[in-house]
Amino acid sequence: MNGFSPASHLLLVLAAPLLGAVVAWVIGSRGAAAVRQSAAVTAGVTLGLAGWLIMRYLASPEAAAGGPFATIDVPWLTGGIFNVRLSLGLDGLSLWMFGLAALLSLTAVLVSWDAIRERAVGFYVLLLVLEAAMLGVFAARDLILFYVFFEFTLVPLFFLIGIWGHEERRKAAVKFFIYTLAGSVLTFLGLLAIVLWNASHTGQVTFDIAGLTAGLARHPLPMDASGGWLQMIVFLALLAGFAVKVPIVPLHTWLPLAHVEAPTGGSVDLAGVLLKIGIYGFLRFSMPMLPDATAVAAPWLFGLGVAGIVYGALVALVQTDLKRLIAYSSVSHMGYVVMGLFALTPLALEGANLQLVNHGLSSAGLFALVGMIYERFHTRNIASLGGIASKAPWLTVLFMLFTFSSIGLPGLNGFVGEFMILAGSFQRAWSGVSAAWQAAYLVMALLAVAGVVLGAWYMLWAVERVFFGASREPPREAAPGHGHGHGHGQGHAAVERCDLKWHEFAALAPLAVFVLWIGLAPATFLAPAAAAIRQSTQASSIAFAARMQEPPAPAHQVVRMP
Amino acid sequence: MPNLTPATLLVLVPLLPLVGAVLTVALGRVLGSRAHLPAVASIAASAAVAVSLLVGLGREVGSGGTGRPVEMVNTLWQWADVADATPAGAAVPQAFSIPIALRLDPLTATLLAIITCVGLLVAIYSIGYMHDDPGYPRFFALVAAFVFSMTMLVAASNFLLVYVFWEAVGACSYLLIGFWFSKPEAARAAKKAFLVNRIGDFGLAVATFLLWITYGTLNFHDTITADGTIVPGILGQVRLADAVGYVGGAVGTAICLLLLLAACGKSAQLPLHVWLPDAMEGPTPASALIHAATMVTAGIYLVARCAPLFVACPEALTVVSIVGATTALVAALIGTVQNDLKRVLAYSTISQLGYMFASLGTGTLLGFTAAIFHLVTHAFFKALLFLGAGSVMHSMGGVIDMRRFGGLRRIMPITAATFLIGSLALAGVAPFAGFFSKDEILAALHGRGWPGAHGEHHEAPASGHASLTVAPGTHLPAASLLLGASRGEGAPASAIRFVSRATASPATAPAAGGLDSPRTWQLLFWMSLVTAGLTAFYTFRAVFMTFTGPTRVPEEAGHHAHESPPVMTLPLVILAAASAVSGWWLFRTQALASFLASTPSLTCPTVADTAVPHAFHLDVALQGTLAAAIGIALAALGHLGRRSDGPQMERYLGPLEPLFANRFYIDQLYAALVVKPLEVVALIAAAFDRHVVDGLVDGIGRLPGVVGTVVRRLQSGLLQRYALAGVMGTLLIVLALAWGLR
Repeated sequence: MNGFSPASHLLLVLAAPLLGAVVAWVIGSRGAAAVRQSAAVTAGVTLGLAGWLIMRYLASPEAAAGGPFATIDVPWLTGGIFNVRLSLGLDGLSLWMFGLAALLSLTAVLVSWDAIRERAVGFYVLLLVLEAAMLGVFAARDLILFYVFFEFTLVPLFFLIGIWGHEERRKAAVKFFIYTLAGSVLTFLGLLAIVLWNASHTGQVTFDIAGLTAGLARHPLPMDASGGWLQMIVFLALLAGFAVKVPIVPLHTWLPLAHVEAPTGGSVDLAGVLLKIGIYGFLRFSMPMLPDATAVAAPWLFGLGVAGIVYGALVALVQTDLKRLIAYSSVSHMGYVVMGLFALTPLALEGANLQLVNHGLSSAGLFALVGMIYERFHTRNIASLGGIASKAPWLTVLFMLFTFSSIGLPGLNGFVGEFMILAGSFQRAWSGVSAAWQAAYLVMALLAVAGVVLGAWYMLWAVERVFFGASREPPREAAPGHGHGHGHGQGHAAVERCDLKWHEFAALAPLAVFVLWIGLAPATFLAPAAAAIRQSTQASSIAFAARMQEPPAPAHQVVRMP
Repeated sequence: MPNLTPATLLVLVPLLPLVGAVLTVALGRVLGSRAHLPAVASIAASAAVAVSLLVGLGREVGSGGTGRPVEMVNTLWQWADVADATPAGAAVPQAFSIPIALRLDPLTATLLAIITCVGLLVAIYSIGYMHDDPGYPRFFALVAAFVFSMTMLVAASNFLLVYVFWEAVGACSYLLIGFWFSKPEAARAAKKAFLVNRIGDFGLAVATFLLWITYGTLNFHDTITADGTIVPGILGQVRLADAVGYVGGAVGTAICLLLLLAACGKSAQLPLHVWLPDAMEGPTPASALIHAATMVTAGIYLVARCAPLFVACPEALTVVSIVGATTALVAALIGTVQNDLKRVLAYSTISQLGYMFASLGTGTLLGFTAAIFHLVTHAFFKALLFLGAGSVMHSMGGVIDMRRFGGLRRIMPITAATFLIGSLALAGVAPFAGFFSKDEILAALHGRGWPGAHGEHHEAPASGHASLTVAPGTHLPAASLLLGASRGEGAPASAIRFVSRATASPATAPAAGGLDSPRTWQLLFWMSLVTAGLTAFYTFRAVFMTFTGPTRVPEEAGHHAHESPPVMTLPLVILAAASAVSGWWLFRTQALASFLASTPSLTCPTVADTAVPHAFHLDVALQGTLAAAIGIALAALGHLGRRSDGPQMERYLGPLEPLFANRFYIDQLYAALVVKPLEVVALIAAAFDRHVVDGLVDGIGRLPGVVGTVVRRLQSGLLQRYALAGVMGTLLIVLALAWGLR
């Protein structure tokens, strides 16, 4: 294809937001309008380039095997036993998350259009830096590079929350930063242990992720008492960082606070992309590199996923702040992803991977809409809102669309992932596990399906209170129905319209398109990821099956339900 | 037009209303008061196509002899395809291959015609009814979207697709119940309907998972893989011809009961019926179309479609009848004391749907066809009654409390006459439609309660049950799948038994279980007979209260209480004609029953072998007519020609009156047993989250308080330098890479 190598293309995608950040910085003196325009252009161009790259990937011969594409591999520190390289690339595992990060970055810029008036330069610069870091996380094929980008997502978001957030922004920023940092330091130690173990067997210090995976397949970390249960310890170390990121209950309490206090653009990136890095970490590192430990932990994490579904839904049910409610719905929905991941059946794994994208779209859309509601009515308190549907019909239509996507209405994207995860989880109960495990898996899977009912409850209840009923904000007497007397209360009261503006439409329309597209033709999105998921989870699946077919587990090992 | 094959026509039936819905959304503003045009035109075209398909299929069935399975499947595209969905460690291969496939068979064709024709009449009626509503375009867009979803639901040839449109019709229903969303009751009713339906959907979802794991596919029809092996669909002809059979036992019964749970949600059966009366908050035409004629019959469709699954589990079948007959009776009892005309009709709908379930549960061919027969006639007369009630409401300025008006036959004679015809049909008075379909249902129940009383004999299985014969040795993966499923169950393989045509023809061999004894069926028959009497009573109570007695009009109607415009009365007249003659015609010719007998599901030997020769059961008919006569007489005694706000019949009910008036306290029970406890648990969880989980984190976090101070200091003033450093550093790395790549 026209001499423009995929590798340069990828580099360009990564560099574009950074160049854009510099541009925004330089033209900062011309005022906020110029800055936000340049940021929108940057995010738009990056999205276009990323989309083009994804299409090139899909058309490439590498796509069928899910293999790496657009690879860049540059020796960095080589000499002696050191073979540290900088390498980037895309594969089936990272493809959609890479695209999602580019898509949601544009959304994040557009939803900040009116909301951010003070210190706009810093805001947009940080937002673009965050975009580069998010793209980098998914493009990294080198462990060090991955970790650098992984940590570097924290810094811009810390400032975004801490400076442009709401009332308790300081507290939220610090909590978010320290919580995730504490977890990811452990993750780093775990990753280092993997590198050193590999080095001790191969005599080469490599940080190449593919090389490490292959190396650990040949020389797995010991998973017995004589080896000090090293594999389990490393797994737990990785888990610490990834579980906080996802977040897996009970490590989730930073999330509602961070979301509620974050500016809308920050929430969009946080919910849409950053939470997914945890799951991506499991798929990229834990599962292929530590299969035996994964197999041991899988039922427990499956149980924690289910606990998260039900717990998150219950807590969401009684929230009074709309944004907080959606934050808890994120906790609940990420529970499905965790559950699907650790069901370790092909269907559930593919569903979980798709659900990452689905949740990214619907939660980003919902957070963006909550931000728009806040800009209009200066409150997120559900009790003080009401009857928005008659004032902002298109805002309502889109909120309903993302709500329906979030509660898994068929025909939209959320259903596909949810259905595959649940079907795969039921399958787990009938795939050669002992009777006790079968009962445990069956009960957990049923609880997860019940979570679908709860999910509809809290979302529709919120919709009812915020969008329907009489107009509440600004306070206005409800117009009693007259007309030709069907008892409807719309009346002819002059309702002040405050519907979506063009940039708000532009922020949400692409998300809505994908919500429908994935719902109607999920095969398009499932197929490119399938081979890569299979590769990276195969070892864990086999280890799990082997473990499960051992003599029946003693009763005390049955996962207790929360 | 060269390419109008049945396969294309089949796609057009749902596609046209979808286009209509999209056009209405796109052009609603432009069209203004003509926003009904795209919806009405597209539904009309869809109805024409559906009727032509019905006629064409009828001809084909007629030429091939009754009882021969007839189906056509049109696969459009592959929705999802996880070719190898076998978990490591599982012994048998499983594939998750979901096509978007539509089917045409007698059952589908019948329902397609009903949905589109009633949909068309309701849409025309709505032109008048909704004419000055600010949400006029939105209403028609939703109606068209509903017709699309509903036609897809009955045409889908795959359980996953059924689930998709099962929820899609629920979403349309949600949006139409909440159509006047600024009314808090409407918003609440909409949410309630969706949530109660979600409980049913829970059943359908789990049933779908179990079906997939048990049968290895979700398709109704057989498919052939690329390498030439036949994958028998769950309701495909290979399995129906008993080549591989159906799973009974614990798993089979669980599947059937879960399907029943789903049906109970959508078709408002006990204990999930609570949403339907509240759904009357929606516009009346929507109530007529969705909450009377079509959507609520989806549960009937599902059970009829899955007939072979149910017949393999006689206990589950009996439960279907028990649920149905009980619902019919309870809803009828509640209906006798309602004063809101639409709610009378709502409870009547619940009750009539209960009849259909009672009929399905007999597991006989007569029972299945009678249920669909009643579904058809009910669609006509219940849509008629709802539209009539809408006409009254339209004229009375939105008042629907029967105590506030009366003697309306003088003001609105067409409405009154058509409403009377609908009521006669509902009450089961000969020769109106409901009489014949109800008679068949009672006969089906009677046949189970008193086997042999009608001289039933079982014909030898007709030849040609399967046009697709399976050669010995053909690889049938599903057979091994079934064994695989039994292994994980923890129970011996005997827990799953294959039902062959010899073992479970319910009418010949009542199962040993106590539930499925003739005595049960006798009880169910008597319950249904009592329900018939109650139906006649509450129907004519409503007729007499509304249309007889001194003429009274509520003040909301103002001075313009009048007969509705022709655009509203024309659909009433058409539906009245259908309610008057359809039953007699379909009964006399047996066109519907013999047509439906070619539905693949009903050609399953375990169903088809229960066929009995068509007969008019004089004893049953007399009992039914007597019950109706008593009901009408009682209603006349209390309400004929009296003021409707006068003393009511219910004063004779004594202590039962509050029980009926409070709808058996079922809503209160839900609040006390489900909603409140859950809210309490949620509050506890939230408090736990805030104080325990987060408190713990904060406690840990407070220890190195210094860290926070340091980080906070970083933020003030140093921000710009920090950010710039970050940008520059990363840019440097990228540039270094570019350099190296060179």
